[in-house]
Amino acid sequence: MTHPAFYEFGSPVRVVSGLTALERIPGLLEDLGAARPLVITDKGVRAAGLVDVLTGALGNGLEPGGIADEVPPDSSVAAVREVAHRFREARCDGILALGGGSVLDTAKGVNILVSEGGDDLMAYSGAGALKRRLKPLIAIPTTAGTGSETTLVAVIKDAARQVKMTFVSHYLIPDAAVLDPRMTLTLPPHITAATAMDALTHAMEAYTCLAKNPQSDAAALAAVALIAEHLPRVMAAPGDAHARLALANAATLAGMAFSNSMCGMVHNLGHAVGAVCGVPHGTCMAIFLPYGLEYNLHKNGPLTAELLLPLAGPEVFARTPAYHRPFRVIEAVRQLNRHLRERTAGRHACSLQEVRDARGQAQIPRERLPEIVAAAMRDGTAIYNPEDLDREDVLMVLTQAWEGLPLDRTRVRQG
Amino acid sequence: MATRWEYRDHGPIREILRCAYLTPMLWFMGRAVAAAAAVDTDVRREFDTLPTPFTFALGVWPAGPAMVVAKGADGRVRYRGGRTAGVDIDLLMQIKHLETAFQMFTFRESTATAFARNRLLVQGDVANAVPVARVLDMTEVYLLPRVIARLAVKRIPRWKPWRTWIGRLRIYWRTLWGY
Repeated sequence: MTHPAFYEFGSPVRVVSGLTALERIPGLLEDLGAARPLVITDKGVRAAGLVDVLTGALGNGLEPGGIADEVPPDSSVAAVREVAHRFREARCDGILALGGGSVLDTAKGVNILVSEGGDDLMAYSGAGALKRRLKPLIAIPTTAGTGSETTLVAVIKDAARQVKMTFVSHYLIPDAAVLDPRMTLTLPPHITAATAMDALTHAMEAYTCLAKNPQSDAAALAAVALIAEHLPRVMAAPGDAHARLALANAATLAGMAFSNSMCGMVHNLGHAVGAVCGVPHGTCMAIFLPYGLEYNLHKNGPLTAELLLPLAGPEVFARTPAYHRPFRVIEAVRQLNRHLRERTAGRHACSLQEVRDARGQAQIPRERLPEIVAAAMRDGTAIYNPEDLDREDVLMVLTQAWEGLPLDRTRVRQG
Repeated sequence: MATRWEYRDHGPIREILRCAYLTPMLWFMGRAVAAAAAVDTDVRREFDTLPTPFTFALGVWPAGPAMVVAKGADGRVRYRGGRTAGVDIDLLMQIKHLETAFQMFTFRESTATAFARNRLLVQGDVANAVPVARVLDMTEVYLLPRVIARLAVKRIPRWKPWRTWIGRLRIYWRTLWGY
């Protein structure tokens, strides 16, 4: 067990998980001293009827101050300003964030403006800009993947400057996360698959990258085990509420882990592909996860091997020779990707060339790989990757991932 | 993978000695970064990815030894001294403890490991910390013998020997005698 000489771990989120978890929200708000929350969500979540489920669960005792459903698919500074304006107009005193990563990030941005005052969100970008507690924020995730309900990060796009700004602060961590399977039951199979692979990547990178620590390890291993057991069940029976709840818990645990141990090259490449080609984050994670494990194998072999137990179970772990376990983990992730591709009729991509947009067009042309390399070189997650990554390395991995071929490990430069 | 460490009492003399080591070390490192930006194309390329103008500082929290390096409006990189007070800094990286800073600058803990162990407080755009970390790594590879540089960075770049040696001579010359 790795025990670093120094580390910090913090996860102050109160997690409420269960088949009727939503009904606990009035009590949570009361504990936090809020009585008039603004519900922040997006139009897709509202159209799926989830806002009605939420307001129904709140009962007559609690009337939201308003419902702001104008969050775009990529959270933006303009949307944050608009929602903050509505918050002030309606004299709200807390936030219920109902949605996926974009909604939760927007809610965090709104919380900055309504707590600190003013309209200049960019003044609080980067790390360490916030110096005090913000208003009560309860996160109700509608996907089981981003883990944003437990993380200290928000990524918000500044459309005018065409950049994604990162906000990092312990004060951005929501006060509570409410995990209720009613919120994820209607998730389409390909989104269920991609978001679960996002959570699996959070857990595996948290366990194998440089900032790992015993606390994050515990959360990461539990997350891997839950995903390995329950993702195939959810894909086979999307209405299985218990399995859905298990996946939601896995995503939250993985969020706790990576919020404290950060991620490595899988996120580095995924952020870059997302920024350049607009590919959903979970899709990128699913494709790059086996490549990240392969690339770092010479430094991380023993740690990767340990993941076989929660991923494949004790029987497979016991009958696999120790030297072969890390390779078995990588193969198991690839098998899982192939299984998800079958289950989603090809919508779950296993290589970059298979990624299609809504019109069926290839979303990542090969000639854009150099642009992706440039974006990857400025992503902060590279610091936490066990092996160094330079431009040549990134291009080599991207080329293999585009083709869908395993990494040629003789081309990985070892330091 | 287990890490060995031991507890030591940190008396005032020890602190003074640590500061006496770190102050010239950071002065030297700051000037070496500026020199490396003038000498090496890869270091230059990392600075090119940063905004213009841009100032970063690396020091010991709260007011210990520090180095301030700035890329001016003309793109030239200069060492701006060892005081952070009153300077408009875009990226401030502060090592949380003097002892940790000593470990880093005696090359017993790499920059990446220090980041991973949460040894630094970072204020500013995190994306800019990545090229800065690469610049620090490359400068260390130039300044240090290979056997020590291996402890300070994740991977020694495969440079041609002439590049390492000529670059090293030029960087040491510029660091010591100006540039």
